[in-house]
Amino acid sequence: MWQYQKKLQYPINIKNPNPKFAKIIISQYGGPDGEMTASLRYLSQRYSMPYSDLKGLLTDIGTEELAHFEMIAAMVHQLTRDMSEEEILRSGFDTYFVDHTAGIYPVAASGAPWSANYFQSKGDLLADLHENMAAEQKARTTYDNLLRLIDDPDIREPLKFLRQREIVHYQRFGEGLRLTTDRLNSKNFYACNPSFDKVCGKGTSCPS
Amino acid sequence: MNEKRQMLRRIYSYDFTILELGLYLDTHSDDMRALKTRQQVQEKRAQLVQEYEAKFGPYVLTSDDVKGNRWSWVDNPWPWDYRRED
Repeated sequence: MWQYQKKLQYPINIKNPNPKFAKIIISQYGGPDGEMTASLRYLSQRYSMPYSDLKGLLTDIGTEELAHFEMIAAMVHQLTRDMSEEEILRSGFDTYFVDHTAGIYPVAASGAPWSANYFQSKGDLLADLHENMAAEQKARTTYDNLLRLIDDPDIREPLKFLRQREIVHYQRFGEGLRLTTDRLNSKNFYACNPSFDKVCGKGTSCPS
Repeated sequence: MNEKRQMLRRIYSYDFTILELGLYLDTHSDDMRALKTRQQVQEKRAQLVQEYEAKFGPYVLTSDDVKGNRWSWVDNPWPWDYRRED
């Protein structure tokens, strides 16, 4: 279960609303490499994880991602407060506004709605851990790109915090992969599915 | 920054330390130094939360501290609200 804490993981207080920035930042809410995708990926994958320590890792990182998409939503919410009709038209926020006003809805910067196609839960921990490491790097790139385009320090500081978390998560998943291969046959790390094949990693080869 | 905000900031920093040490311990479960630090931070945080709740009401929804005649959990600000004083 989860318990709500009435706070953000990192404070968000944006003095100057800016719907143009809201329109690109929302990609980390409902975009392909966004926080919602990340959270659902890890929290879905953990059920087929055979190792107890990595069940913990997927649960804890998946939970932290929930706190991250709350931060992104808070940023979009504050960036779109008190907008005039003229600002909405001028900023390009009009294409979002017409469907969602100033409500929060998971879409990518392009306007594409969030989709479960953005992630996989393969039921194979080697495939899943490699996906997770790639996903953390893709999210880091997205934050890099946002930081290239945004100059307001009220927005940059939380984005820099989130970017740093992607790097930490990548590190932890890398360690998770090492812990996994340490438990497998070194001659045959990647030829079977340790989440499903009972003998995988114990000397005998997997389905042929 | 007022006293309430200051105390909250201190709790948040302990929360972050606990989370970060938690992720580290997930992949380094036998690291005694990290385990010890985790215990120390937990104690400091518990003390601070108790102090905070005695003064300002519940910190989390299931908090034991519901003194007073009002369920202050529902009061603003909610985390996503913009607060000028920060």
